[in-house]
Amino acid sequence: MDLSLYLPRLIDGLGVSLQLTVISVVLGYALGLLFALGVSSIHRGLRWPALVVVEIGRGIPALVVLYIVYYGLPAVGVLFSSFWAAAVGLTFTVAAYSSEMIRAGIQSVPRGQSEAAAALGLSRLPAFARVILPQGLRSAIPALMGLAIQSFQGTSLAYSISVNELMSQAYQVSSLTFAYLTVYVVTGLIYAVIAVPATWASVWVEHRLGRGHA
Amino acid sequence: MEAVVAVLLGLPMTLLVTAAAFAIGLVGGIPLLLGLRSRHRVVRLVVRFVVDLVRGIPPIVWLFVLFFGVSIGAFRFNALAAAIVGLGVISAAYLAEIYRGGFATLPAGQTEAARALGLGRRATFVRVLAPQAGRTALPSITTFLLALVKDSSIASTIGVTDMVFAANTFVRQNPMTAGLTPFFVAAAVYVAISIPLAIVARRLDSRLRRSA
Amino acid sequence: MPQLITEANELATAGVTISHLSKSFGTNLVLDDISMTVAPGSVTALIGPSGSGKSTLLRCVNLLEQPDRGSITVGSTSIEAGAKVTDRTLLALRRQVGMVFQSFNLFPHMTVLRNVAYPQERILGRSRAEAEERALTLLERVGLRDKAQQHPGRCSGGQQQRIAIVRALALNPRAMLFDEPTSALDPEVGVEVLAVMRELADSGMTMIVVTHEMQFARDVSDHLVVMADGHIIEEGDPRAIMAAPREERTRRFLSAVLER
Repeated sequence: MDLSLYLPRLIDGLGVSLQLTVISVVLGYALGLLFALGVSSIHRGLRWPALVVVEIGRGIPALVVLYIVYYGLPAVGVLFSSFWAAAVGLTFTVAAYSSEMIRAGIQSVPRGQSEAAAALGLSRLPAFARVILPQGLRSAIPALMGLAIQSFQGTSLAYSISVNELMSQAYQVSSLTFAYLTVYVVTGLIYAVIAVPATWASVWVEHRLGRGHA
Repeated sequence: MEAVVAVLLGLPMTLLVTAAAFAIGLVGGIPLLLGLRSRHRVVRLVVRFVVDLVRGIPPIVWLFVLFFGVSIGAFRFNALAAAIVGLGVISAAYLAEIYRGGFATLPAGQTEAARALGLGRRATFVRVLAPQAGRTALPSITTFLLALVKDSSIASTIGVTDMVFAANTFVRQNPMTAGLTPFFVAAAVYVAISIPLAIVARRLDSRLRRSA
Repeated sequence: MPQLITEANELATAGVTISHLSKSFGTNLVLDDISMTVAPGSVTALIGPSGSGKSTLLRCVNLLEQPDRGSITVGSTSIEAGAKVTDRTLLALRRQVGMVFQSFNLFPHMTVLRNVAYPQERILGRSRAEAEERALTLLERVGLRDKAQQHPGRCSGGQQQRIAIVRALALNPRAMLFDEPTSALDPEVGVEVLAVMRELADSGMTMIVVTHEMQFARDVSDHLVVMADGHIIEEGDPRAIMAAPREERTRRFLSAVLER
């Protein structure tokens, strides 16, 4: 049916969705690591602000964050294009969630590891950076993989601030063709075709990580 | 100030959508769980696939499918029904997975002991396994509810008059004066709702960890 | 007999002196005014029932536990409880004393070779080549050179513990602390580790060993310290004490332990 004419448009939208995903995941995890270090810090001046930012980031729906960045910030003079508003908003949300996962990973490293590092005479920075952090990040990998997949799905929210990603394209195509059910189902399947195998892959990685690692 | 009132008027709808979807999910997750744990490989695989598919499609797409796509004869979902059913089905899939996790961590000895005593399959499940699995899963269920409160905001995209919808409407009606306020109000209410839930979740989690 | 301490150790091994050490955990007095001297090159075995404070005492020596009162001296480095310990002094102390833990605590994300080489690079400033060569030499001496490229998770408990010993030795410590090194191991496997510890003792390393291995305590240690309830209740020649303990408490403990 004539849907095949519109499939390329949907795929274009998918491309934008994937771009948003990559940006928000890469920048979001980096920022999340900073937040996690801040939250775990002994200095109150670092810890409290970091905690507040993380809790707000996790407490506000991603949709609201997008609206704030796109509709709200112009009121104070900060103007982003749709795409970059979405990128900024999604990065912030991903950072908040990933920081909790990274923090939990760091906390789960057995005490014996920091004791061994201390007993060897490693000072705090190398002990943390070379012994604790690598293990902590490794523990967090399954959760972080799940978050990446969810943030891919989350890019669908960018529709609401006029980004031309997959969901927007679906809306436009369905308005043109009136084949609402088909278009949206196909769109859903496009998301699923990426998200579901990715989830299976991440479960497999989780199993591999669990083995051979005393 | 009017921004605050306007947004708060959407709060009941936010809570309604959340509560209704959660209820559907809690109940609907059970048959899915039974399917995931079925003795028959085919059933397990089919249910697994369905659950993964439902979880693999973004909520907004589901809502659009139900709201714009479903027209059986004269029947069409109104926005609220679409939102509740859509989020309810998604919740059922996620909760089924959470329930499954609760059962997966049960020691095998529990089933063995119950059967050795002569308890039948149903009694074993209902009286021995489920209560323990439920206790283990409770923190995750609370965390999920937290997420659901936030995801309910997606209903605003199909016209459900929740807090986000109200904030958007207010901004559209007062483009000059509204500024960031309506969204901040909505954000603040979401955070306010999530704080007690988060505390409960954390407390349940540490109690669980201690008794483990 | 292969020497585990080679000519590369410039400094002689150091003695350890513990003076009037006290420590409480909350209201629980775990160490009550303990004083003990470990001569350089000697092996001291610390035995006693659980809760006697022997592990805590050991962990005070390298300040993994902070004593409330008293002082600790390793070689020429002294630390007073309560006084502010600078990071420099702390690191200086820990770099002179090696520790082997009950749960090995090897770094799982590094290969065996890196486990032994990295601390040398970081702490002694050795080059990577130097550190790895030394690591391989030491691993060879305990028969585990072929495990160098593997991760600790692939090694048995006994192997991991021997690697842990080597990791600490690679830093040329002047004394070594062992916190129940074989308690997490099956007896047959524990034998390998005890053999390595024996060699180390014969090489002249100062050792303090908290252990339940009475045979090791009797045959290898020069000095036996028996603790109970936060006190040293008896100390002296291991064979003498085990044959004829002076204290009733010691007698009860030994008979319970040796019965196994």
